[in-house]
Amino acid sequence: MDLQTEVLIIGGGATGAGISRDLALRGIPSLLVEKGDFTSGASGRNQGLLHSGARYAVNDPEAARECISENRILRRIAPHCIEDTGGLFVSLPEDGHEYRADFIRACAAAGIDTTPLSPGEALAMEPKLNPLVIGAVGVPDGAIDPFTLVVENVRDAEARGARFLLHTEVTDLICKDQRISGARVRDRVTGEEFAITASRIINATGAWANEILGLAGLSMGIALSKGSMLITNTRLSERVINRCRPPASGDIIVPNDTVSILGTTSLRAEDLESHEVTPEEVSFLVDELSRMIPAIKGERFTRAYAGIRPLVQSEQTHDDRDISRGFTLIDHQSRDGLEGLITITGGKLITYRLMAEKTVDFICERMGLDVPCLTHLQPLPGAGRGHTFQDRLLRLRHQTPAFRRELLCDCELVPRETVDAILREGKVRELQDILHRTRLAKGTCQGGFCVYRLLGVLNERRKEEGLGSSNRILTGFLEERWKGIRPVLWGTSLKEEELIESIYKGLFNLAPEATAPNEGGIP
Amino acid sequence: MKRWDLIVIGTGLAGLTAARTAVEMGAKVLVIGRGMGSLALFGNSIDVLGAIPPGADMETGVADWIAAHPDHPYARMGWPGISEALGAFRELFSPPYTFAPAGKGNSLIPTGAGTMRPTYLLPVTMTAGAGASAADTLIIGLRGFKDFQGDTVSLHLQCRGVNLSLPRYGLEGLSALALARLMDEAPFREGLGEAIRSQMAGERRIGLPAVLGLKAPADVLGTLETITRAKVFEIPMLPPSIPGTRVFHRFREFLIEKGATFLLGNPAISADLKGGLCEGITLQNPPLLTPYRAERYILATGRFLGGGLQADTEKISEPLFRLPVSQPESRGQWFRERFFQPEAHPVHRAGIVTDQELRPIDTRGRIILKNVRVAGSILAHHSMIEEHSHEGIAIATGYLAARRALAS
Amino acid sequence: MTQLEQITIPSRHVPDLCVRCATCMAVCPVSRVTPLFPGPKQAGPGAQRFRLASQDSVDDWIELCTACRLCDTACPAGVPISELNLMAKAKYLGERGQRVRDWLLVRSDRFGELFSRFSVIVNPLMKWRAVRWLLDKLLGIDRRRDLPAFESPTFRQWFRNRPVATDISGRRKIAYFYGCFTNTNEVDVGKAAVACLEAYGFSVTLPPQRCCGLPRLGLGDLRGAREMGRRNLSLLLPTVREGTDIVFSSTSCGLMFRHEYGPLLDLSGAEELATHLFDICGFLLRLHEEETTAVRFKGLVAKAAYFTPCHLRSLNSGLPALELLRLVPGLDIRTIEAECCGLGGLYGFKTEKYAIAEEIGKDLAQEVSRIKPEVILTDCEGCRMQIRQLTGIKVLHPLQLLRDVLPSA
Repeated sequence: MDLQTEVLIIGGGATGAGISRDLALRGIPSLLVEKGDFTSGASGRNQGLLHSGARYAVNDPEAARECISENRILRRIAPHCIEDTGGLFVSLPEDGHEYRADFIRACAAAGIDTTPLSPGEALAMEPKLNPLVIGAVGVPDGAIDPFTLVVENVRDAEARGARFLLHTEVTDLICKDQRISGARVRDRVTGEEFAITASRIINATGAWANEILGLAGLSMGIALSKGSMLITNTRLSERVINRCRPPASGDIIVPNDTVSILGTTSLRAEDLESHEVTPEEVSFLVDELSRMIPAIKGERFTRAYAGIRPLVQSEQTHDDRDISRGFTLIDHQSRDGLEGLITITGGKLITYRLMAEKTVDFICERMGLDVPCLTHLQPLPGAGRGHTFQDRLLRLRHQTPAFRRELLCDCELVPRETVDAILREGKVRELQDILHRTRLAKGTCQGGFCVYRLLGVLNERRKEEGLGSSNRILTGFLEERWKGIRPVLWGTSLKEEELIESIYKGLFNLAPEATAPNEGGIP
Repeated sequence: MKRWDLIVIGTGLAGLTAARTAVEMGAKVLVIGRGMGSLALFGNSIDVLGAIPPGADMETGVADWIAAHPDHPYARMGWPGISEALGAFRELFSPPYTFAPAGKGNSLIPTGAGTMRPTYLLPVTMTAGAGASAADTLIIGLRGFKDFQGDTVSLHLQCRGVNLSLPRYGLEGLSALALARLMDEAPFREGLGEAIRSQMAGERRIGLPAVLGLKAPADVLGTLETITRAKVFEIPMLPPSIPGTRVFHRFREFLIEKGATFLLGNPAISADLKGGLCEGITLQNPPLLTPYRAERYILATGRFLGGGLQADTEKISEPLFRLPVSQPESRGQWFRERFFQPEAHPVHRAGIVTDQELRPIDTRGRIILKNVRVAGSILAHHSMIEEHSHEGIAIATGYLAARRALAS
Repeated sequence: MTQLEQITIPSRHVPDLCVRCATCMAVCPVSRVTPLFPGPKQAGPGAQRFRLASQDSVDDWIELCTACRLCDTACPAGVPISELNLMAKAKYLGERGQRVRDWLLVRSDRFGELFSRFSVIVNPLMKWRAVRWLLDKLLGIDRRRDLPAFESPTFRQWFRNRPVATDISGRRKIAYFYGCFTNTNEVDVGKAAVACLEAYGFSVTLPPQRCCGLPRLGLGDLRGAREMGRRNLSLLLPTVREGTDIVFSSTSCGLMFRHEYGPLLDLSGAEELATHLFDICGFLLRLHEEETTAVRFKGLVAKAAYFTPCHLRSLNSGLPALELLRLVPGLDIRTIEAECCGLGGLYGFKTEKYAIAEEIGKDLAQEVSRIKPEVILTDCEGCRMQIRQLTGIKVLHPLQLLRDVLPSA
């Protein structure tokens, strides 16, 4: 089942999805392959911050201007992916007033609106702030949902003819006569292997850039930086809370729906799978961020996670037009003499659209097309459809027989119909695909109850289709879940853990398939 | 101030067993519990030791196992003590709702995940599950009752499964307690029985979620079995546990009837210790702190879930008597790298170390508090989850603690 | 700013304590009978994560919570679930505004005294179907609910005007908090309390007192409840400070004083009051336990059943009334194994909640029909009303039976 397309995009993060949409809006067909689900890489493992750019205003005005510009564009085209929380830059006694003054000036210079606030005003807005706060500055930060953002880009692109293959891994690049003409891929779920041919191949794999380049005997200088984050059980603040000081680790608290995300660190990572959050990082984040919100010291955390960011080491760019400070676009024809392949990497989540724009501009030029970018003008499909977590609370009203809305996830109020709708689309192939697309398992018990229920819903179909045991999926889920909760197991989280183990290992006597007695049925 | 003969702190199965044992020995007992204890969560059948294969003799099996695990709480009383305690437990329940082994020794019963779990004493409402086989069993799911997924069970047991809804009542959104209550009503369960019968295809056993009545489980069983002409059994599911709640209610009813004072809902937060003895404990019901005194005390406050053990970022402590807790050296060693391991995570083996009489001892083996005994899952050196020994430990140690306490 | 924000609440990260174990779901009487109420796990710590102080409340189902507090007693983690529910209800109702009916119902002490004065007219009027129909349609007071009769004179009037017999100087003084309902609708309970206290050798005083404020609290009027609390504290603390303890016969009033004035409403002086305030049966029982009384009950052969009010469970000092009743020779006294009568104070009077209250009470009614007692005893006036209506059997406060078996009687 070999496929053909104009542009093959490798990588289903924000960059890849953005490129696909930009191409689609300019009428250029594309096919995107991603070895996992959307946002498997850094796009799915960040703090979900819609930067105002204020953070970079003092040290990197270019980046700041870029951020605020994209911030405004995203608010226009993707309001439904954003919670307009606003943000504060908070000064503590040790930060002094000087930086704050520079900060306000620099923001003004970069076109970022700021609102200076007195300590009293700041504390009235955010009662949990450190009472010793000496001042704050309001900025247009927001919280953004990367997964929805990416999926919306995908949906728009798909409606215009772009194609997407998830769980499809590139195993080789097809290279002949100094030209890359496609890739060989493998469906990780079915094992099927086939080839995709394309005029142009875009390596949008972020931190995995070298994995793909290596297939063509190429490489680039990428250092891997791990950033760890902690998720709290309850939402600590209404706004994004930043530290008003030169950017460092542990200075941002981002509200996300019903929780807050504390971050982040910056440690060299050994490899692409080094997602483990160390006890030292946990202690560091708790200590550092409790300076801004003291309650963090005694806070309950439900999960810890880390993302790997690619740090591109200085690249000799052969084309100055494309390069903005934050990201790197490499034309391998100029650099390595290999036609048909470009790499785009680096950047931030919220500059994805700009990265895509630059990439597609470059491609169009190479193709001799003079088509302007429209991604900043055209809203994403779901735009205008507001959704707050209060909407989920509203549904509890209708938990009557008349409405028949069965809640699968008690913690995050996710009803069965949400899952049914996703299943009807027919695109999910793994449990995590469903979990990515809902708030299921993202709450207090981290899936302790709801995944059992979800699998029950799935089993209704599995029986009809003659599929086998779902407990393999359940044990797999519990093992995966473990990675996130193990670093924060003390206090109440440890109680939660005892409950979950008592249910699954005790009451249900669940064990991974290999060692489970009587898994296949009863005698 | 009034002095009780015994104060039991903890209203899990261990505390309740200790209290009841003491009451039957004629003692004036005060029972304090912060909450309902894990009976409301997991208690459904009585697990003693899952390692003994079904059909094998419990006595020799358990005795051999204990010999290989001399630090285990079961080593305090051995099989004779365990057996005696289990016998006393069984006596609390008068026919027709009784607890008994389904066959010889352990049996395997189906669970809500469709797996099989070894257990020893089963309530009559679960007995038929022990003999179920794929060919003759039908699993009934109840539409909208999400804490029991019938298809998961039948898929794994490889037997037939059917999901029922009863339009008149609309089962969507009903809690386990609401369902169990409906089952207690004859018209409802008759309707359910008819609905089941209409879906049967010759099966001889019917498996249902564990909601077969709160007040009258035996009647529920009787009705359903009469109408379906099959053996009916209930299957443990996600919490809350209705069978466990029945056990809790039985204990509470018994204790109050016999004149014990039952204080549920607030924790004992401090103990007055002097010269190796406990002189009193204080109950906290804000804003009041009420002292209670007794000759002797039994600590059966459970593990982390019950609040008997607390963990901060560095260590594990026992908050009431501040007893030393045997534990791994650092938090980094509490949990293993993978969730599923053949052995329990080391933190689950932490707990209070005692002598043969269940009195807490220090690392040199000296008794810390002479009139305090420790019972239940808070004890060290067991892994009740992996061992499937939770109820057995609770009953055996609760029983022993009370008997020893009152003998002194 | 909502009422909620105007009141200082002890701040606790209470949703964080909840481990979602669902133990509370094993006891909630409302979710036991209807799926309209999602249950304490969801209504309290669950929904709390979704509530933002700055946004409007959307949880209208929170009104279905009866505030029985059984969930609190069952929770192994000590989550103050009913308090969370109460706060949410207060915010919700504060935003919605109070109904006329509720405005009337919470002023039951004032209106009660008025209706007592005119009880000759009011009582028959309350039995007219037309009147009940009107109350149902206009105010939402369900016409199926038996309304308690008003009595004249009130308890307080009776106490003031009764002949003070025998020499009472030198006796230890004890103050009695009778509560609105005893004052205007169940005067005999008050009389029984006084009779018992005097039989035990006390001289009874009635400090000036107002409604404890529980009806206001139940309707989310935290400001109103706080106001009643403040007034009562100013009226009662002088009694306490002169060395006189106070007893209550209504377990709901007792709960309000002891456990809501301080922890929830954060009123100063609440703790001081709480340490000198006792359930009257507990107070008398202690005299027996400490063997400082010569009172021995006369025999009474009867089949009686005792029902534990939910609020008594929350007071969590045992079942002293039951223990006293066990001291009555010949009395066959058993407990009714049911949790929650369903009335929920004013809850079961309301048209939108009547059916739920009745359904909750069915479990109790079933137990009663199994036991077939001649008389039912319970400390809570709400439970008495509900049980009367559900079973038609004679229902008394334990004090009323004990009064009849006092040695001097």
